[in-house]
Amino acid sequence: MNKKKLLISVLVASLTVLTFSSAIAEEFSVAGRPLKLFGYATQEVSYGFSDAYDTEKGINSALMNLFVESAYDITKDLKFYGSGMLSVDWIYQLKCNDSSWVDKLFSKSKGNLNVDDKYWQLLKEARLTWTPGDFMFRVGKQIVSWGELLGFRIMDQINPLDQRRGFLDVEFETTIIPIWLFRADYYPKITSSWLQDLGFEFVYNPNADFIPNQDLMAGNAEGGIWAPNIPIPGAHLATAVSKISTPDRWKEGNEFAFRVKANMLGAITTLNFFYGRDNSPVTKLIPPFMSPIPPDILASDGALLLHPFQEGKYPFFKYVGATIAKELIPLRASFLGDVAPTIYLEALYAFDSTFTFTNPLFPFPVQRFGKSDDFRSGIEVTWKVKIPALNARTYFSFMGEFFYRRIMDYPSVEEIAGLKKNNYQTFLNVNTQYFHGKFTPSFTWIHDINSNSNFFIPKLVYDFDYHWHFTLGGQLFSGAKNGQGLQLFDNKDQIFFKVAYKWG
Amino acid sequence: MCFLVLFLALGVMAPSLWAAEQFKINSQELEKNKRLMDDPRPYLTTTLAYKKVLPPELYSKLTYDIEEMKKLWAECVGFRAPDEVGKIAPEIKPGTYSYKDKAKYPGLKELMIPMYYEFFKEGGPPLAGSYAEIKVVPTRQYYWSLPVAKATKEGMGRVQLDDNGIIKEETWVAGIPFPRPEGKFKANQVIYNWIKTPLWLDNYYATSVNKGFTRTLRVDQEMVADVMYLTLKGRTRLEPYGWYDERAKKNGELSQMNFFYQAPRDMYGNVISITGYMEPEKYDQMMVYINALRRVRLLSATDIQDAIGGADYAYVDNNGFGQKLSTTIFPYKNEIIAEREYLVPFSTWDGSEYMNAKGEVYNLEWERRPMYVVKMTQLDKNFVYSYRMAYVDKETGILVNVENFDQKGRLYRSTRGQRPFIPEMGMFGMGCGIANDHLDLHTSWTLGYLVPAPWLTRADVSLRGLVIKGK
Repeated sequence: MNKKKLLISVLVASLTVLTFSSAIAEEFSVAGRPLKLFGYATQEVSYGFSDAYDTEKGINSALMNLFVESAYDITKDLKFYGSGMLSVDWIYQLKCNDSSWVDKLFSKSKGNLNVDDKYWQLLKEARLTWTPGDFMFRVGKQIVSWGELLGFRIMDQINPLDQRRGFLDVEFETTIIPIWLFRADYYPKITSSWLQDLGFEFVYNPNADFIPNQDLMAGNAEGGIWAPNIPIPGAHLATAVSKISTPDRWKEGNEFAFRVKANMLGAITTLNFFYGRDNSPVTKLIPPFMSPIPPDILASDGALLLHPFQEGKYPFFKYVGATIAKELIPLRASFLGDVAPTIYLEALYAFDSTFTFTNPLFPFPVQRFGKSDDFRSGIEVTWKVKIPALNARTYFSFMGEFFYRRIMDYPSVEEIAGLKKNNYQTFLNVNTQYFHGKFTPSFTWIHDINSNSNFFIPKLVYDFDYHWHFTLGGQLFSGAKNGQGLQLFDNKDQIFFKVAYKWG
Repeated sequence: MCFLVLFLALGVMAPSLWAAEQFKINSQELEKNKRLMDDPRPYLTTTLAYKKVLPPELYSKLTYDIEEMKKLWAECVGFRAPDEVGKIAPEIKPGTYSYKDKAKYPGLKELMIPMYYEFFKEGGPPLAGSYAEIKVVPTRQYYWSLPVAKATKEGMGRVQLDDNGIIKEETWVAGIPFPRPEGKFKANQVIYNWIKTPLWLDNYYATSVNKGFTRTLRVDQEMVADVMYLTLKGRTRLEPYGWYDERAKKNGELSQMNFFYQAPRDMYGNVISITGYMEPEKYDQMMVYINALRRVRLLSATDIQDAIGGADYAYVDNNGFGQKLSTTIFPYKNEIIAEREYLVPFSTWDGSEYMNAKGEVYNLEWERRPMYVVKMTQLDKNFVYSYRMAYVDKETGILVNVENFDQKGRLYRSTRGQRPFIPEMGMFGMGCGIANDHLDLHTSWTLGYLVPAPWLTRADVSLRGLVIKGK
């Protein structure tokens, strides 16, 4: 605890120095080579509107991020990039004596969500890139991002995600967790008239350290303010008692990924192959299935707190897939501002994926691991349109996505929690800019068709200058079917305000 | 100009040889020798003089006999600028004039481009880029390098426009296509001279720094960006000459470049790749490496009218006028509305120009230049501009000033550029530039420096280049 406090103090002091020292904000020369240093500090406060068990009326998060990154060109062909981040949610300090916060057990999630102090949370990326000739080799803690869609993550399965703090990321760029990887790219010289670029990319994960997805966690004592409200008559779902086996470092969980990239006929296409582990575990309930555990048997509202008992594993995940991106220039229309739509397609077919099958015919949850092929696909259309009546100078940017997932061998009697045989979701984002790009209003709508549930994010960003940025926004949930889809977050409507200072 | 503003903004090198075969100057080195603000150092004739910066063999390769260049270029265009000027307001002689002298020298109003005359004032909000004091120098003859001049001379009478005034690409090989504009499509020829101007080098690496100013002249943007540029057709100064390669010839590719941001933080690691094509009806191809996503993404090639990243220009304003003449894609009706001399800050050879905190620009060398004024009326009513006023230097074909008017006829954006002239190379450098947004009242001020980059290849400006230069 003292260690954490010391760490925070040091980093806050560093932030103060960096913020007011322009000399640090630019570029250095080290051993005659350029060293760049960038960073940002953000402080966000969110305010919830509901006073339910799974949420808190009033201020329910006060998240601070301190991010520092550096790039150093060791030689013309050898470069280093590193980044580090400290995330602290001050709400645990602010509400340590708040009876409601304590009674709802949010205070117990402090260990998970107060300070991100694991080495892999503090150290984001640390990688060396060597670029001899037509090759590129990159080794270290890094991000390899695949796919085309910006809303739904289909092909992008190599790095795990940090989603513990909900749908509004800590910072978009840092929700993806860098892991230890080796990457090799080869770009042969192309002389063809129809093929402009060709690249081969190989990625190897030796599982030097197994870092899985950081998903939303059940129970207020683990998941904090973002614990989903899973309906159980007369009870609340509390923290899980889990036994999740993880692949042994180095020995198990090695992953291989290969991609061919081409720029041909005006389109960017890729063919993808992945063999590795799913970043999220599959779990199944084991006896006693659900049970209260003293001393917190009852929730603050008098309902029983039931802890699920489960075991699980990170199953194999292997797929082939393809992406294509192409601008449909013939569809440009003068009256819409002459910008053509661009489509982005991606699809993967995963073999023998593992799911948790639940038999609904039994009075208590009987679950087993079952296998099925899994098809995931998505299409995104981006289109900038001029609407002079609303904005005379800047276009409106529309980005719509449709996501389709089919469980190929869906069991006939059993069910897969949260999934149907066919699953559909949509995503829409609209934004524009006013006053010379100073104000950027945007609206995002995610709709889960199967559960008829929605997530809305209205947001206004004010860029005072290249240092200071202010964001005011909201997160609103609705759902027609109790306990399904985004309805699980129905009580978590909130507004948020974020101040960001960036240097470099 | 700082048209560089535009060019580089789509979006930054003293002598530091990274490797004998791959020299370049980064923004840090540029700013060490010439800061963006309040710095009158003549860096182009001192610390960053090309003779000092370039490897001797390359410098030698790119320099030519000045008198020979002057003679040949005069043969191409049929005149020398000093002989063409001095007729308007002859009482305005070389010397220094203050904005306070405007009443005393009414001839200045007649001699200056109207918008320049408006900026001939004490600095202050809302727009930066005023001239509180101007230094008038005698008109000088400008010329292009020997290879460019030879290619121009060889093309005289051969380069043709079609019945719609669109260039027949197969007839243009290299050089300035129409050194003596004439005939029905004279205005189009003037514009083509700018479009085809071999302004910089066949391969170059450039670095630029940029500041943005709000209507109160508060700095709201600082940007650093580099560009690697490969000319694919009409190469005259660096091998290979003519077409860069067979692929360019087969695909009708004119140029390929990577533009990568070094700052601010949010932009660092973004790389934009652009391939330009000859066909008037074909859009450029644009890809971007998005830093936050660590991913290459196809950009809409038709998304060219929105301002770029908080700057005061759009893709269509790239380098002043970033479009091709076309009958289908934003077609223009071009007409020459004046052919006369103007007093403009055409070129400051030593790079001593600078801007102060009041937004005043000093040390520019103003000279009388023979110019064309082309009104470019946009025929697509949904285009961002209803018309452009382009001021093009007659002797060199260089676009000096462009004023862009919105669909309501209001002056929307303007770019003023002056490029340093490198006499022994017959070449213009990047220098500084001003872009103003007259409606949102915002200004961009840019300084750039380029070096020839014979080491640059397709690999640097391709998909590989995107990935390697990206974050």
